Amino acid sequence: MTVSALEANDAKRGGRSLLSALLLPIVLVNILVFVAPVANLAAMSFRSAAATGAMIEGFNLSTWSSLISDAYYWSMLWRTVWIGALITLVALVLSYPLALFVSRATRAKALLIVLCISPLLISAVVRTYGWMVILGDQGFLPAMLRSFNLTPPRLINNQLGVIIGMTEILMPYMILSLLSGFGKLDATLEQAAETLGAGPFTVFRRIVLPLSMPGILLGCLLCFVLAVSSFITPKMLGGGRVALLATEIYDQAIVTLNWPVAACLSVLILIVFGTALLFYGQLSKIVE
Amino acid sequence: MEKRYGSFAPSVADLSFSLGQGELLGLLGPSGCGKTTTLRMISGLVQATSGTIRVGGQDVTHLPTYRRNMGVMFQSYALFPHMTIAENVAFGLQMRKVRKPDIATRVASALAMVRLDGVADRKPRELSGGQQQRVALARALVVEPDILLLDEPLSNLDAKLRDNMRNEIREIQQRLRMTTVFVTHDQTEAMAICDRIVVMNRGKLEQIGTPLDIYERPATPMVAEFVGRINRLEGQWRNDGAIAVGDSLIRANANGGTGRVLIMIRPHRIDLAAAGEPGAGSPEENMVAGTIRHITYVGDTLQYAVATAGGLLQVEKATSSATDPFQPGDSVALRWKTRDTLSFSSEATG
Repeated sequence: MTVSALEANDAKRGGRSLLSALLLPIVLVNILVFVAPVANLAAMSFRSAAATGAMIEGFNLSTWSSLISDAYYWSMLWRTVWIGALITLVALVLSYPLALFVSRATRAKALLIVLCISPLLISAVVRTYGWMVILGDQGFLPAMLRSFNLTPPRLINNQLGVIIGMTEILMPYMILSLLSGFGKLDATLEQAAETLGAGPFTVFRRIVLPLSMPGILLGCLLCFVLAVSSFITPKMLGGGRVALLATEIYDQAIVTLNWPVAACLSVLILIVFGTALLFYGQLSKIVE
Repeated sequence: MEKRYGSFAPSVADLSFSLGQGELLGLLGPSGCGKTTTLRMISGLVQATSGTIRVGGQDVTHLPTYRRNMGVMFQSYALFPHMTIAENVAFGLQMRKVRKPDIATRVASALAMVRLDGVADRKPRELSGGQQQRVALARALVVEPDILLLDEPLSNLDAKLRDNMRNEIREIQQRLRMTTVFVTHDQTEAMAICDRIVVMNRGKLEQIGTPLDIYERPATPMVAEFVGRINRLEGQWRNDGAIAVGDSLIRANANGGTGRVLIMIRPHRIDLAAAGEPGAGSPEENMVAGTIRHITYVGDTLQYAVATAGGLLQVEKATSSATDPFQPGDSVALRWKTRDTLSFSSEATG
């Protein structure tokens, strides 16, 4: 090995130890506030609680087995996944044209982006109250429908209300993800396709859609995860009648004080997220 | 035809030209002169505000781009990044519902034509700029378009590659007898490969002609200045058909006129001789006395700035291995042919 190669090696080693030193604080913080609590949660799911909420000594599978054998939880898991997927899909369909328009805008583009994400400046709780005012039985929308002599459907305290509210609340995330994905989309590519004989629909199907796929996947992952994990909006707009994993965790931990069941459901939700992430990774690879 | 954007002045106005089958027509002009807009009107990407565009007798003015059968090569190449090279080239054929086995053979032969075999399965980003350009050319040609439209195709390549590619485009164009419109701001490029050149300025037509016409017989001072370095002298027509510039008389390619006149002479068409040599100009040749102010050595040429009674004249001589006979401050005689003296009477100079 030559002297310069040795020096380069030394420099590399020096750089690596500096890198480790710089990464150490965030690694420690993450272990303390993320890894340890999750491990604790996982451990707790192997314990069981007395009727008073007091945890019984010793680890066993009794909480898991009672959960798995209970059809109520299976239907809740299924409901959580399909409502989350539906919310994601509706948010995607509503956000896509909006994001495409904003990314194409030449004038006031910055203002349009701010308008799209400005709902994030208001807490989801406040926005949920807003939806209660609009959708509630004496609310704005039913009143308007009644003024046209129409019988309004139930828009609140059911799944429909949850889906409407959640979709609106998650749309800014979808729009942001889509916008980041549209960066690859050069208008010249569409013009090139047009000159080669592609009509507007073909241009969209063969050029615009495939090139915006990374943004679509990212937005879907983000919205799905947020939809599955949110509990305030489903609780308020579902009126306690829409039992989802996240709301059930809240109830078990805060109301029923059965922490082992809450821990089990938390682990279950983590598995759902892991599966979603796996899908995202695989689909991303195909898109690439 | 004409194109107006909003209420602004038209970016292209009152432009009219025709293209012969198999002709390579250059659209030449400074940036912002409307040449790209013209190209986009032909391709249909921009709608003409008024006027008509005909291809083979058929009015295509209001046809959408995708029904026009034009092959366009974009300045940025615009290859589809998510498709392989073969898929890029096949795209136009798929749009034309060509049968699958035929697509495969036509794609292969198009790639062979631009000398790009063996990259069919790669993605555009894995190719060099020159290769991407060939793909763009193959993609535009494979559909056998009525007209091939090239928008500044060489501007993103480095100088050496540019010359090669230029000749290659010309060679393929000749072989296929492909009617082609070539947009460029580089007069050398246009001169080198075009059959005819349309010189545009501020959205208006300045001149249409062969490269020789454009260079030797420019219709306007703008054209003369755009296609190469040129000297300007201001003069006054005299009754005998000569032009008075300062206290010397110059004869031009035109036989007289009235009023003020702009004279233009290319620097390399002027001969330099030591002062005091006999000869005082003739009907065929102009002679003016001057003093050398600067000499600039630029490798293959020497550029002299010579002060004359009419103003400073640039003279350009090919360098030779012999030492330069002139020094700054030398008195010299400048001679040039009458037919190399372009004259523009003030009506024409605008």
